[in-house]
Amino acid sequence: MLMMSRRQGETIRIGDDIEIVIAGIHGSRVKVGIRAPREMTVVMREIKLVKEENLAAAQAPQVAVWSSLMEHFQRTAAGARAHAGRPAARR
Amino acid sequence: MPVLETINFGPIAFEQESILEFPRGLPGFEECRRFVAVQIPQTAPLVFLQSLEQASLCFTTMPVQSVDPDYNLQVMPEDLALVDLPAERQPRIGHDVLCLAVLAVRESGPTANLLAPLVVNLANRKAVQAVAPESDYSHQHALLPQEATVCS
Repeated sequence: MLMMSRRQGETIRIGDDIEIVIAGIHGSRVKVGIRAPREMTVVMREIKLVKEENLAAAQAPQVAVWSSLMEHFQRTAAGARAHAGRPAARR
Repeated sequence: MPVLETINFGPIAFEQESILEFPRGLPGFEECRRFVAVQIPQTAPLVFLQSLEQASLCFTTMPVQSVDPDYNLQVMPEDLALVDLPAERQPRIGHDVLCLAVLAVRESGPTANLLAPLVVNLANRKAVQAVAPESDYSHQHALLPQEATVCS
């Protein structure tokens, strides 16, 4: 992996189209600006994980399966139950 | 009261004010912005999030405190701004926000996404899936750990 040290306000170029600016440094956080062609998707790595996880979650089995899973969960996690606010919808 | 036809629950009636609005959608479902939360006694403490735009889309979620009573919520400033929460301090679960973990079922059992919980501003029902890049939480936290295991 190519490593570079940069100061605040300095930039890095990747190819002809992509420019990365170190916009700010605050403690352990670095604010990075990215200039790239509009058609290029730029996201944090975690967003990709979350997207994959959401796609898997949307395939999950529904009420009947969850009902039996929850019986098990209630037995293992009794006492840790919390409350999700008032029901937002009724059948 | 509007009635929504759903695949999992049949027709459900809901109040307009109970709609959760995700201004940015969810990663992978950017076009799905409005959901209603459905709770059923036999699956408590689950909260099903039914999409208003896609009848077939329904996420199964659970309050994060039910998964981990000591859950430490860390929301990035841009996500706080998206749901109109003040950026100066972290929102308190139960006071300022409802915090739900999205669940998935895999071969090894059900898992909860603690890396990116859904954070709902209780004051205006705006919501965001808030990725916490600096947290050590897993996006696939096992929901039914070994009986003897104590969550740390």
